[in-house]
This record gives sequence, C-alpha cells and structure tokens, in this order.
Amino acid sequence: MPGGVQPDERELLARARSGDGEAFGELVRRHQETVYTLALRLVGPDLAADVAQEAFLRAWRALPRFRGEAAFSTWLHRITVNTAWTLRRRDRRHLTQPLEGDFEDTAPLPERAGELAEARAGLLRAIAALNPGQRAVLVLRDLYGWSGAEVARELAITETTVKVRLHRARARLRSLLGGER
Amino acid sequence: MRGPICAAAALLPGVGEGRLAGHRESCLRCRAHDARRRSLARELAALGAEVAPAPDTLQAAVMARLGPQDAVDPRRALAARAVARHAAAAAVAVAVLAVLLAGLARRHSRATV
Repeated sequence: MPGGVQPDERELLARARSGDGEAFGELVRRHQETVYTLALRLVGPDLAADVAQEAFLRAWRALPRFRGEAAFSTWLHRITVNTAWTLRRRDRRHLTQPLEGDFEDTAPLPERAGELAEARAGLLRAIAALNPGQRAVLVLRDLYGWSGAEVARELAITETTVKVRLHRARARLRSLLGGER
Repeated sequence: MRGPICAAAALLPGVGEGRLAGHRESCLRCRAHDARRRSLARELAALGAEVAPAPDTLQAAVMARLGPQDAVDPRRALAARAVARHAAAAAVAVAVLAVLLAGLARRHSRATV
C-alpha cells in the first residue's frame, strides 16, 4: 500500500468479516507466502497453489465465524492443513511430489552454500518420499512446531497415531538421508 | 530418543536411566546416533522457518473467486433448524391426534345411532 499507513490487521479483519473483499485481498497479500509454503510442504508443488487458493476461499467464507481466539495466521494455517488433506485425498496422483528446487533463500549465501543447498535438497527429497500421512505429521510437528494434540485434532487422528507416524517418519528420514550422506 | 544400543538396553529388566545415561556417554554408536538426530531436528526446524514465494497469480485468482460468506452466527442456523424440527414433530402429533379423535367420534356416533 504505497503512500499510506498500512491498516492494522484487526481493522482489515473487521472489514473483511463484514464482506469487504478489498480488505480480504490485503490479508491474502500479507499471508499468501506462508500459506503457500505450508501447502508446498504438505502436498508438493503441483497441488500447492490449488491448496493455497482453496484455503483462502474457505477462509473468506468462514470469516464471519472467526472469533479471534487464535491468531489469524494460526487459523489460516489450520484451514490450509484441512484443505491440503481434503484435496490430497481427491487427487491421489499427487502422493509423492518432488519438493526440491521450490524454495528460494533470502539469506546471504554462506561459504558452504553449495554443500548446504545439496543437503537441503536431499532433505526435501527425503520428506517427499514419505507417505502422505507421515509427511503431514512430520511437517506440522518438526517443521512448524505444532503440538501432538494440535496435529491430532487437525488431521482427525489420535495422538497415539501422531506419535507412531512421527517415529516412523523420522526413522525413515534418517534411513533415507543415511543413504545419501 | 535413544540410540540403537540404548534402546535395546532399555528393554532389559533392571536397567535404569542412570546406567543408560552412563552408557550413552561411553557408547560411540549411541553418541553418533544422538548427534544425527539433533542435526536432523535442526535442519527440519530451519526448513520450517523458510518461506517460498507464492505464485504471482495467487491473490488475483482468489479475488476472482470470492463468493458469498457464511452466516455470521452458525448458532442461528442451528436454532432455526431445531425450531423447524420441533414444528414438524408438533404438526405430525396434531395430525395423529386429529385422526384418533375423528375415529373416536365416528365410533361414538355409530354407537348412538
């Protein structure tokens, strides 16, 4: 928003809740990268844009019911996880998407940039090789730091299942990376 | 999470945490396993902090598809549905009662004729 003061997120939310599409557009602009990145981690590049788009549309529809008990970004991320889960089920072709090459570094390049980039590409390949259930749990717990209870609630599984999947995902990741490194 | 040897030791009866910790200190395999585990956890957390650029068309695509929003308060819709359910049940009860009363009236009029 050039030349003016950026409206406070609460103000934008209040306007969007009462049907102001322009205010919602500004919220989309502010959150699109984090929502897209989460989708990318969960479903891979082919489906990520669809998931992000659908998540924003679901958020728009549900916005009048948003009470602000959690941060808007947290609420949006929950919707993204649910949407990813739904769309992934609909589109089984996207079970294992290659994830390498989808992330741009914004930090200055370190001396060992090549080595680190290679290690990260290997990590992304290994995450992509996990089955969708294990990948979702690993991404939410180990990348985004969600609690076991939150993951269980959003994926509609038990906390025990979360623990089992996480254990298996980590073991598989170590085994895949052990072969690469 | 324990190293492979510690994990095996944990299954043996009478092996306490103190002994396991001591073992972990001295076991090269377990220490290497722990180091790999910590390194992987760091790499995963770092990946979680990264942000990928969204497609340029994402915002426009969302804005082009904005439709109507849901009702402000879902409890209103639920309450309306509950009222409709009760009204339907009451209508059925009244109809049944009317049929029963009509039957009784017919019997009564036949008996008096």
